[in-house]
Amino acid sequence: MIINKILKYSVYLCLAVSILAIIWWLMKDPTSRFTESLPGLDKRGVSDTVSENIEIGKIFETNALQYKEMSESWPRFRGERLDNISVSPIRLKEKFGPKGADIRWTIPLGEGHSGAAIYKGLVYVLDYNEKEKADLLRCFSLTEGKELWKRGYHVTIKRNHGMSRTIPSITEKYILTMGPRCHVMCLDRASGNFRWGIDVAKEYSVEIPFWYTGQCPLIDNDIAVIATGGKALMIGVSCETGKKLWETPNPDGWKMSHSSIIPFTFEGRKMFVYSAIGGMVGIAADGPDAGKVLWKTPAWNHSVVAPSPVCMPDGKIFITAGYGAGAMLLQLKGNGVNFTIEVVQQYLPRFGLASEQQTPVFWQGHLFGILPKDAGTLRNQFVCVDPADCKKMIWTSGQTARFGLGPYFIADNKFFILDDEGTLTILKPSTSKYIQLDQIKVIKDGADAWAPMAIANGYLVLRDSKTMVCINMNL
Amino acid sequence: MLNVNSHKQIRGIEMENSPKNSRRDFIKKGTRLSLLLTLGAVGGIAAKHLTGEKYVWQIDPFKCTQCGRCATSCVMSPSAVKCIHAYDLCGYCDLCGGYLKPDANQRSTAAENQLCPTAAIQRKYIEEPYFEYVIDESLCIGCAKCVKGCTSFGNGSLHLQIIQNRCLNCNECSIARLCPSEAISRVKASNPYKVKGSFTKEGKS
Repeated sequence: MIINKILKYSVYLCLAVSILAIIWWLMKDPTSRFTESLPGLDKRGVSDTVSENIEIGKIFETNALQYKEMSESWPRFRGERLDNISVSPIRLKEKFGPKGADIRWTIPLGEGHSGAAIYKGLVYVLDYNEKEKADLLRCFSLTEGKELWKRGYHVTIKRNHGMSRTIPSITEKYILTMGPRCHVMCLDRASGNFRWGIDVAKEYSVEIPFWYTGQCPLIDNDIAVIATGGKALMIGVSCETGKKLWETPNPDGWKMSHSSIIPFTFEGRKMFVYSAIGGMVGIAADGPDAGKVLWKTPAWNHSVVAPSPVCMPDGKIFITAGYGAGAMLLQLKGNGVNFTIEVVQQYLPRFGLASEQQTPVFWQGHLFGILPKDAGTLRNQFVCVDPADCKKMIWTSGQTARFGLGPYFIADNKFFILDDEGTLTILKPSTSKYIQLDQIKVIKDGADAWAPMAIANGYLVLRDSKTMVCINMNL
Repeated sequence: MLNVNSHKQIRGIEMENSPKNSRRDFIKKGTRLSLLLTLGAVGGIAAKHLTGEKYVWQIDPFKCTQCGRCATSCVMSPSAVKCIHAYDLCGYCDLCGGYLKPDANQRSTAAENQLCPTAAIQRKYIEEPYFEYVIDESLCIGCAKCVKGCTSFGNGSLHLQIIQNRCLNCNECSIARLCPSEAISRVKASNPYKVKGSFTKEGKS
């Protein structure tokens, strides 16, 4: 009897404990000690730099020095034809020999990545002077490196992986610059006299890209073409008067990228191809409908885009970006009036040609570029692909020939590649294999040599983050 | 000429002149010397053991390829490998490749934008356009996702190190055995870290 009672009460006790345990389990929140990661925990502040009043073109200093006028030019980002290929007949060295590079001059610059443009014996570079707190367009003689004049404006720029980033656009009459905080300045080329300026960030409510503006401004038929983002997608401004000629609406709210506008003529229609943060677009470049969107696609949309589109004669457009974005190959079709665009290939950087900063070069029907650091085993290698299949490498430079984020271009049938530390490599361009001719250090203690190079009359101008160098490459 | 007797005489004289019990003394002295030498050797070994240089395991951040095995192969759970931050190398970027997922929707602290699976990186606004990134060691599991992002897209200021007060200093480190880039080796305990900034690519610290 007693045993039965004990068993009976034990069962009741177990049931009660079980019920209590279930209630406790149901009421217990196992995530109660978790901390939620919500937006705003970094207590992000609001920048007041846009309200700063900038008097564009206010500063001007001249040294009135003579210079030797020369015949050739590299007047803008990626040269005259925007393809990074020099058509100059001047023969260049393919080996440096025991004496090394013939460095004509070296000039210290403010920390940054703005490359030079060359026009008939003059070198133009948009520099940032930390001491004066000013964007300054500086003009040097090509052969001597003597500073002739500088024009600019006071503006506060904080160090952010460098300060200057863009290359001026030069024509016989005009110079067009765009500063780190989107200040556009137009000058007379010969005199450096100020014509007009636009504070793009302020006028168009633009979000300045990370690490400041990387878009190199474009002069096309004496029209300054700027991809603004914000209130407009793109604008065309008369270089002569500063009057706005056309403005492309921006209903999708696309933002300014580091990519530059590339003029492209397809099926008889000239257009400006631009890769914004939000998508890619082709905008009518001339005629009564200048500024009209001919085609656009949101398929290519990444938070940071630095390389510019590579437009090929058959309507293929190659675009790439860093930070894991990879690349995309698009096919443009149309009859000169109506256009459509479709994605042919899209892949991550480890699966094909991609680039973080530099724009690949299209030469003899092939694309050449340096893969980014997140390209797996082929990281930082120089590669060649056929645009018919950008995922298939025709050749790579191999494990022992890796480069960085630096620039590359073709002149006198030679590829010139500058790596991050200022080592210049000369290659023989080939669609069948990697052929290295020579390699030499041209910037002592170089670092972050990312600015595109320029060449004219055999004088190669390049820079790292703090020093600009001119090398005489003439044979 | 000396005869046999004279030889005996000489021997007798020598025997009488040499100290008594010399063989016993020799054995005594030899034993004492042996003991002294043994004691000295043991003392020397003990002193060396007590004062000599010890070795511990550490990661060379310039060899590390951020494969992620440090998080899963360490005998400790969570791993004794943690991410550390070389602030002097950091760009203090708003768009930080070590903090934000590639193509994150926003540059915010929302969980969906963070690369770190355990939210071990705290992001603090300093001033426009700078942000500071601080590692919460107690949350870090050493997965190296942030290190990969920082190395690929930034200055490489985030990097992995074996935290010595968490490491058991196994004779055969299970991570070192699997490390595909042979980035883990023994280093002197007196200088147990290879922190970027003070430790350079050439291995000078």
